[in-house]
Amino acid sequence: MISLTINGKSYAADVTADTPLLWVLRDTLGLTGTKYGCGIEVCGACTVWIDGSAEKSCDVSVSEAVGRQITTIEGLSPTGTHAAQLAWIAEQVPQCGYCQSGMLMATAKLLRENSNPSDAAIDSAIGNLCACGTYPRVRAAIHRAAALLAKR
Amino acid sequence: MNEISTPELSRRSFIKVAAASSGGLMLTVMLPLGGRAALAAAGTVTAYVSIASDETVTIMAPAPEMGQGTMSTLPQIVAEELCVDWSKVKVAQAPAGASYVNTVTGSQLVGGSMSVRGYFQGMLKAGATARQMLVSAAATQLGTSIANCTVANGIVTNTLNGATVTYGAVAAAAALVPVPSDPVILSSTRGYKLVGTSAPRKDIPSKTNGSAIFGIDVRVPGMLYAAVKHSPVLGGTLASTPAKPSGAIAVVPFKNAVGVVAKDTWTAFKALNQLSVSWTRPATAAAMTDATILATANTLMTSGTPRVAETVGSPTAGLAASATLLNMTYTLPYLAHACLEPLNCTVSVTPTSCEIWAPTQAPGMCVQTAATITGLPASAIKVNTVHMGGGLGRKFEQDYIAQAVTISKAMGKPVKLTWPRSEDFRNDQYRPMAVTKITAGLDTYGNPVYWSNRIVSQSILGQRGWLPSGAVDSQAVDGAVGMPYAINNRLVEWVPHTATVPVGFWRSVGHSINAFAVESAIDEIATKLGVNPLAFRRRLMVGNTRGLAVLDRVAALSNWATTPAAGIARGLAYHESFGSIVAQVVEIQRVAATATTAATVKLLRVSAVIDCGLAVNPDNVAAQIQGAVMQGLSAALWDKIGFNSGVPNVSNFNAYPSLRMRQAPRIDVAVISTPGAAIGGVGEPGVPPAAPALANAYAALTGIRLRSLPMSSIMTNMGGGDD
Ligand code: FES
Ligand code: FES
Repeated sequence: MISLTINGKSYAADVTADTPLLWVLRDTLGLTGTKYGCGIEVCGACTVWIDGSAEKSCDVSVSEAVGRQITTIEGLSPTGTHAAQLAWIAEQVPQCGYCQSGMLMATAKLLRENSNPSDAAIDSAIGNLCACGTYPRVRAAIHRAAALLAKR
Repeated sequence: MNEISTPELSRRSFIKVAAASSGGLMLTVMLPLGGRAALAAAGTVTAYVSIASDETVTIMAPAPEMGQGTMSTLPQIVAEELCVDWSKVKVAQAPAGASYVNTVTGSQLVGGSMSVRGYFQGMLKAGATARQMLVSAAATQLGTSIANCTVANGIVTNTLNGATVTYGAVAAAAALVPVPSDPVILSSTRGYKLVGTSAPRKDIPSKTNGSAIFGIDVRVPGMLYAAVKHSPVLGGTLASTPAKPSGAIAVVPFKNAVGVVAKDTWTAFKALNQLSVSWTRPATAAAMTDATILATANTLMTSGTPRVAETVGSPTAGLAASATLLNMTYTLPYLAHACLEPLNCTVSVTPTSCEIWAPTQAPGMCVQTAATITGLPASAIKVNTVHMGGGLGRKFEQDYIAQAVTISKAMGKPVKLTWPRSEDFRNDQYRPMAVTKITAGLDTYGNPVYWSNRIVSQSILGQRGWLPSGAVDSQAVDGAVGMPYAINNRLVEWVPHTATVPVGFWRSVGHSINAFAVESAIDEIATKLGVNPLAFRRRLMVGNTRGLAVLDRVAALSNWATTPAAGIARGLAYHESFGSIVAQVVEIQRVAATATTAATVKLLRVSAVIDCGLAVNPDNVAAQIQGAVMQGLSAALWDKIGFNSGVPNVSNFNAYPSLRMRQAPRIDVAVISTPGAAIGGVGEPGVPPAAPALANAYAALTGIRLRSLPMSSIMTNMGGGDD
């Protein structure tokens, strides 16, 4: 049994130590908001936070995640009202939506470090693949989220 | 579905058949078994509309959602006639299968940008029918006649005394009112109130918090997890069932693949890697090699037997009148769909039933697939449509559905099948490669008087057995025939390529190929004549009011009339497809060479205009165009699937790049509605102009004409972020 702390809660998973965190989240624990896109760290669909840093969970073995604080899209905000989530709705960002959990986790991490990111900062921080091409709206939503944060 | 097996039906025409039949299905046929009394008990007014006592209105979306927004825009049309407050509307995905009368199968299909076009009238009627039944019940409750009632925001008012009653209060009674056969369509006289507005999409909040359930997220109690490995050589077959690897629960053989079942997806993926499989190579494998395929295409171009797709005027006379001939040959590669959600399907087969949860563009076809494999009647098969993480034409196919049904049947348990990403890339139904030769003839005054366009490509319909012998594959010539330009003598021909690469419907299908050739060639002619490409197109489109309006709008949006700064250039492309008209201007900037890098370009901005007749939800139309431009540009810049002796050379996104935030251009979209015009599609028409607009911009910037895709040399993919 492997013990994990995810979104502030304790979980136990009966998996082999080499299982990627991604699959433990999705299959073992039912936290399916985190997505499988490439499995080789190039798309960002599986992005979660581990001890506050945005990581691609397809390339983190569950044993490496033990004893660390893991945050998934389900835990980004208990009410779904993180500034980025509100901005995403206001800008009508998602199309198919498959990449958006990863986009949001990367964005929320960026905003925590830089509450008013420039376009250049966005470009370097948000490398996630969106096959639906929502990038212009993602950019607009990040700026909107920054404005929301400034008002809070 | 039956239509599929009818050989002469093209994809688009069979969708039309299906869509035409859907109007009649809306209310009268799509009633759950159990009948109208069951509806009343559930507060369901019709199969499309149910209203709860808290006034929540739930409207069913009949077309599967793959990101194109129809899960919301179709209910928006119902809500228009239903006269309800959009903020109180919930939408739900309509299932196919046992709980609905099985004539539904065959009507639920998303492709050909047909959803809104196919369902529009039916959805209006569905809303109007429900409204009329609700108002009738309300009138009874208010003790007055229907004529004395008005309705807005789900509240019915007796105009004689101001008394009101809500939909929620009369929903159960309304379900027992006789269904009006010819309901009054209010919007036909008063105009639209909700249609034509950018009402927020209902699926979006769930896509910001991880709660939206995609196919790959489905969880069924007691389910096992499966994965598949296909023959590495396309067309190869399994020689014998391999031994079960450690960790696997079972191995399930297929003709061209092996499935493994395990306790979770990761264990199944690992087991796939441990399989020791022997495959039988097909005789066709050696020829499935890039150089051979291209050489064959070139040979077929010169000596193949062309099939005539279109003749306009007299090509012979046009050729004779030509003083100058321009020969332009364009080459396009095979492409993968590369949906971010890999193929997957969850199925629970029992001796008496089959339930499917699938990210599918064609739920009706899934019923047929499952019936064939299980031997169960369609009434015992239920298909639940869930969100698709992209469809793009790939999730219309049945291969992954059939595998999941077979595995669940073999296990006697629910099973979720997930394809590893590499299997998804290597076993696609690829957008065909094509070689296209356009010859344009100019008379002594420089007027274009002759146009011939010969296309060599594989037949998508032919590979499926849907093309009569000797016929032209409509998919291969879409966008080459019916050219909007008044070149009066034209010939469009197609030569089927003999390659055996599996080919399929990729967003915009033949248009994605032919628009590149046609719009590049038109630009080349304009350049040859020294005429502004916009003016040249305008001249050849005299009388095409809508087309000219789109061109003029894109010219304004892109500041076409102003000369760009040094090192910046613009390219224009125009294309009509799926009943819509799109023009795009791509603006690029030269990035100077350095000691270590060649000169490249940067995408500055794309201006795009669409006239889709009626835009049900303009913001969603704009989103579709933005996405289509990104996809079209990514493919034009970098994407290509190559083959070596039958083995595809791409297995993940690292070898199939696309634009990311840092290289994505700004995209400005204008949506034109033409009142009274037929409704056009919006999911696909944004793709075709992107590649030629980029090539035309590059030619304007450098004088170099790129006739072969992808144009990888002009821009280096920078990948994602810094890490
Ligand atoms: S699935 Fe982890 S980066 Fe793509
Ligand atoms: S919204 Fe579909 S992949 Fe990003």
